[in-house]
Amino acid sequence: MPTAADGAVGPAPLAPAPEHPGIVVSGVRRHFGAVRAVDGVDLVARRGAVTALIGPNGSGKTTLLLVLAGLLVPDAGTVRIAGHDPVTAGLTTRALTGWMPDAFGTWDSLTAREVLTTVGAAYRLPAARAAARAAELLDLVHLTDLADRPAHVLSRGQKQRLGLARALVHDPQVLLLDEPASGLDPRSRVDLRVLVRDLAAQGKTILVSSHVLVELDEMADDAVFVSAGRTVAAESLAAASAARRPWRLRALSQSGLAGWLTAAGVPWRPEGGTANGFAPPPDLLDSPGSLVVDLDGEAGAADLLRAAVGAGVPVTSLAPASGALEATYLALEEERR
Amino acid sequence: MTTTTAPPVGPTPTDPRQAVDPLPGAGSTWSVSWHGVRTVATLELRQRVRSTRWIVSLVVFGLLVGGVSVLTWAFARQVDDAAWTVGPTMFGFIAFFVLFLGLLVSPTLSATAINGDRAAGTLATLQVTLLSALEIVLGKLLAAWLASLAFLAVSLPFILWAFATGNTSPLAVLTTVLLLAVMLAVVCAMGLGFSALTARTAGSAVLSYVAVASLSVLSLIIFGLSVPLVSGIETVQVYEEDWEAWEREGNEYPLDGEPMIPCTWVEREQYVSHTERTWWLLAINPFVIVADAAPDAVRPRDDYYGSFDPLALIRQGVRTARLGPPETFNYCWRELEMTGQGFGAGTSDDGRPLSPVWPWGLSVNLLLGAAGVLFATHRLRIPQRTLPRGTRVA
Repeated sequence: MPTAADGAVGPAPLAPAPEHPGIVVSGVRRHFGAVRAVDGVDLVARRGAVTALIGPNGSGKTTLLLVLAGLLVPDAGTVRIAGHDPVTAGLTTRALTGWMPDAFGTWDSLTAREVLTTVGAAYRLPAARAAARAAELLDLVHLTDLADRPAHVLSRGQKQRLGLARALVHDPQVLLLDEPASGLDPRSRVDLRVLVRDLAAQGKTILVSSHVLVELDEMADDAVFVSAGRTVAAESLAAASAARRPWRLRALSQSGLAGWLTAAGVPWRPEGGTANGFAPPPDLLDSPGSLVVDLDGEAGAADLLRAAVGAGVPVTSLAPASGALEATYLALEEERR
Repeated sequence: MTTTTAPPVGPTPTDPRQAVDPLPGAGSTWSVSWHGVRTVATLELRQRVRSTRWIVSLVVFGLLVGGVSVLTWAFARQVDDAAWTVGPTMFGFIAFFVLFLGLLVSPTLSATAINGDRAAGTLATLQVTLLSALEIVLGKLLAAWLASLAFLAVSLPFILWAFATGNTSPLAVLTTVLLLAVMLAVVCAMGLGFSALTARTAGSAVLSYVAVASLSVLSLIIFGLSVPLVSGIETVQVYEEDWEAWEREGNEYPLDGEPMIPCTWVEREQYVSHTERTWWLLAINPFVIVADAAPDAVRPRDDYYGSFDPLALIRQGVRTARLGPPETFNYCWRELEMTGQGFGAGTSDDGRPLSPVWPWGLSVNLLLGAAGVLFATHRLRIPQRTLPRGTRVA
């Protein structure tokens, strides 16, 4: 995976402003009739980083992205895309922004290549450049084989990849991806993740909305949690990883493991159980099995593992039971109840 | 997807951003470039033309026009095999039939262009590019118009056949084909406006057909029904033969020739229709516009009337309706015959000069089309502040 150092080979940003963060949203509200779709969102998406926009269905993620893409005027609050206001400098921000929508539509009768050259022409690229860019992007999203087939023969995942290529046609500095991973097969998800990391390494600003949290764990640097149209939390993935969350500890003997944990004073629970401390053990097996413990990030995991191995417990694995973002997300849900 | 490393996404030899139009204001709502319009029109034609049974539609259209042309030819010859009116009659009927079918076909091409794209989720992806709202609308209009012109092109051979049959002025062919094309553009533009108005494609299609029907049929019906409203018994000045005076002077009816009856002014109560108040209902009719703009058929010198040239009849009727009743009525037949008034093209039955109505009708139609384009553009401008009810952005 490329690192930030690779970003040096990327093109210099068109818009001014290294000092401008990629996307700054403050106090944005937007209602549709009586429905407050976005009701006070604040977020900052850094240049050269991937920011995850996380929230349950109907929490206003898509509406926020429509505002950022320059399609909707916010009722209140301000938006800056690379330092520009999409309302007053719509054209500039549109030139800088690539938007991959959630509700997926494509021109069915056009071939994949024509879709990309048409979008290239719409971004005022000369025909030769648009054609070259289309070929390059088709290769990037592995659609070269299907380049000259009409788009309606593409599967959902293939259309999704074409949509990503479409958002990249004009080499935007800011990328808005609305549920980019939905419908993708595992291979394509990995490719997407690598591609997004690569783009971030080139200094682009990337905002990804999703509710597939495991996906974002691997991809994102920062996370913004929205619920009912409001920002409820914003933190970096590093912080989320360091937070206390459940880990799954597996050993050759489940009952032996439980015995050691109890003796060591580490609260545990069976898989799917509730964290109520030293409850009388349910029917544990003397065969390989796992238990769940709450640990403080990677450091806590290392300590526990060292102690268990030192005590001769036949540990086979220790891994987070949930993604870092999922834990934060569920904790936030918990607080709101 | 077989490789494990992502291909480079880095800078390309042709950095596309350099091509971003540096002009301030380009791409904002009302700016237009040929490049932008052409891009949208090409997209529309590719998208819609490939997805419809295009060739089949054109062939069916051509067969319909051809069939009606043959029937018209047979009908016109039935009236009088060798008459000079065969050509003009054919020309009039075929022109009207092509216009009729064109008015039916054109809305299907444009009336779903905007709300259909919105429903398919492809409109917003176009809006966020550097295309202006007006470029998107004009591109869609151009595509729909070109498609309807294809139907016109299919019917062109039959129009030329009617011309070749004789006695139709070449100028008539030119004005008719041109006005047919313009009227199709107007209908496309109105359809586009309706497709921006309603969320559902069915709604805009219905509204487009209602608009076409209003212009071409409903206006005619309203004109007819409103005649009693603008008509009534009025006291008018009449110049008529004064038989009493003639008899008082002791004249006797001559055995040979006409009596020389003196004429005099009297006031009479008479039924008068003030169609000069409602003529515009006829003028906005696309059929009237096409008929009125065509020059008269080429008549043989010895033939005044006796024609069944549908275009000429409409022309005479509408232009006369626009004049309304004369201020005075001249029933002094003897004098009329002497002066030769009341005959010939370009005058009403009572000898007043007629003037064309088609510039008025055409202007109204062009304004309606322009309104459709402006409204659609207004609806497509981004960022949007208010969303029309029942629509989604993407």
